[in-house]
Amino acid sequence: MSDILFILEFAGLILEGFIMTVIMTFLGLAGGFVLGVLSALGDVYGGKFLKIIINAYVEFFRGSPLIVQLLMFYFSIPILTGIKWDAFTAGAVTLMLNSGAYQKGYFKGAIEAVFKDQLLAAKSLGMTFKQTLMHIVLPQALRIVIPPWTNEYVSLGLSTSALIVIGLRELTNISKSIAAQTFRPLEVYLFTSIIYLVWITVSLKVLDYIYNRVRIPGLEVTSEI
Amino acid sequence: MADVVLACEGLKKAYGDLMVLKGINFKIEKGQTKVIIGPSGSGKSTFLRVIGLLEPPTDGKVFFEGQDVYSSDMDLNMVRAKIGFVFQEPSLFRHLTALDNVKIGLKVVLGMSEEEATEKAMETLRLVHLEEWAHHYPAQLSGGQQQRVGIARALAMDPDILLFDEPTASLDIELTWEVIDVMKELAEREVTMLVVTHEIGFAKEVADEILFMDDGKFLEWGPPEKVLRNPSTPRAREFLSRLLGGV
Amino acid sequence: MITLSDFLFLLQGVPVTLSISLLSFALGFIIGIPIAVVRQIAPLELTVVAEGYEKVMRGIPVLVFMLFLHFGLAGIVPIFKDSFISSVVALGLRSGAYQSQIFRGAINSVGRDQMRAAISLGMTRTQAFRHIILPQAFIVALPGLGSEIALLIKDSSYSFVLGVLDLTKYSDILRKATKSFIIPYLTAAILYILMTFPIANYLDRWGSRLKTKYGLR
Repeated sequence: MSDILFILEFAGLILEGFIMTVIMTFLGLAGGFVLGVLSALGDVYGGKFLKIIINAYVEFFRGSPLIVQLLMFYFSIPILTGIKWDAFTAGAVTLMLNSGAYQKGYFKGAIEAVFKDQLLAAKSLGMTFKQTLMHIVLPQALRIVIPPWTNEYVSLGLSTSALIVIGLRELTNISKSIAAQTFRPLEVYLFTSIIYLVWITVSLKVLDYIYNRVRIPGLEVTSEI
Repeated sequence: MADVVLACEGLKKAYGDLMVLKGINFKIEKGQTKVIIGPSGSGKSTFLRVIGLLEPPTDGKVFFEGQDVYSSDMDLNMVRAKIGFVFQEPSLFRHLTALDNVKIGLKVVLGMSEEEATEKAMETLRLVHLEEWAHHYPAQLSGGQQQRVGIARALAMDPDILLFDEPTASLDIELTWEVIDVMKELAEREVTMLVVTHEIGFAKEVADEILFMDDGKFLEWGPPEKVLRNPSTPRAREFLSRLLGGV
Repeated sequence: MITLSDFLFLLQGVPVTLSISLLSFALGFIIGIPIAVVRQIAPLELTVVAEGYEKVMRGIPVLVFMLFLHFGLAGIVPIFKDSFISSVVALGLRSGAYQSQIFRGAINSVGRDQMRAAISLGMTRTQAFRHIILPQAFIVALPGLGSEIALLIKDSSYSFVLGVLDLTKYSDILRKATKSFIIPYLTAAILYILMTFPIANYLDRWGSRLKTKYGLR
């Protein structure tokens, strides 16, 4: 480890990989957010058929490994639909579907934490279902969900390393090729680990700050959801 | 006939096979205060929720200001906005301050502007003596204060009638008074009120009529002195002697 | 549809996947309990070390950790030349951090008054931990441990990148051999679900039953 500085030669490449990792994380989280909120609402307020569909979706993506999901979507969608897609699109879509399944659980818990008595109170004021959702349920659910949602951020961020199996040039994949090229895997993976660690630690601090800004006394989650 | 605010005819409500309300006729006129008493499980809360349009009846009719609510094409939400409801649990919106709890119905349902709603809400909070607590969240208020915010939230909508479902049942005894006092003040201002409660003192003092409910029906009704002092049915006698026995 | 012979071929990966998951779970269990206890009762310096361990393990992808062991550390510690062992150790060390957190939550929920009651009977803190707190904490921890096993079964698929012949690898081989692009992966996914779902569910229900029985939260 005498000249760890050799890493700097690859700084540009590593940065490229890191940016790809962050982009994929945010795409997955954002898409998963929409899917998660919609499926949670569907599971809480929807009809029986919708509930079955949603739960099958969630069970599939939570019960099987992300790697298998990535391989399956990457290889099969072009064959089944004729749509050509690259590793980036396939990866982003799979991450969204995967994260949506996990986020659904968090949102469902949070929506159910807005107790029935408040829904009745909203009704008694003459609010419509949509008004109740927008003004009463979601403002509370979105706050309640932040602490458990933080776990999903970390978990998905680290899971993006699975994208290596479809050849996407994210941080882990880039590190693997640098390690092979330089014959210095020990130092390279150590360095990569530190990048992930710093990124996750800083992200957690930021999320914590945000939570403390929007948090309301008495709206904390008392039990695990 | 004087202005009947809320009325029902042959009102029935069943949950599955369980018949909770067994055909009720009832009416309340503008400015009146009526109190419903009765053992738990007799259907008081269900009656209040059905006549308050929070749950549909299984059978029978509900009239709001002379109009059959369920057979005309009235906008149910707009009628609900004219019927104030105070619940047993304070049921405040936990993400909103006391002031915002009172404002939200004004803004979202009645479409008031921010300034208008703030002014109206502050004025109403003053009526329940909570103007100094306007910017506190529900979790920072006592049970009695929360319940008074709940009253203000309903009152601010300028409802034609206020329904109370055992508003003091979940409160400690010393917090009960502050809520009862506010309700007495409302009665003096001739706000139309229909109250389910076990606070006999309140009923005696302000009620125009007391109704005794048992097993999904009103067994007897009349002015407080008659129903409280001289009940004609054995069930009412038994219930009242137990209720007043401890006093 | 998948043919029987293809299905049987795929099944060969299941024992490997299960071995990786269960061995790493065992390793994580052995590491997790002491760390949880250390963070609860040990002097500050040790607590800091334990906390640091958890932070690091929770902050790097387990795949990078596997690659680090298998390609990096193998030069110094030859045993990691074995991709199976690298996978088990990486998953197990990370699971130790996760399980420690599960146990810590469980220990906290059992509560201080139990500890006080035990000490008032004349037990030492260690005895109280061993005989009073841990048995109860273990019950509270069961659902969490169930999800942890499920997580390990799924994450054992990362060993595919190291070339371990696990279920994922078999499905990938089958895809190349049959040129069928969805059936092998879909079948593998269903097999994974059949492994994760019952385990997580069973421990969850067993845990709730015991909790009700002993009146634990």
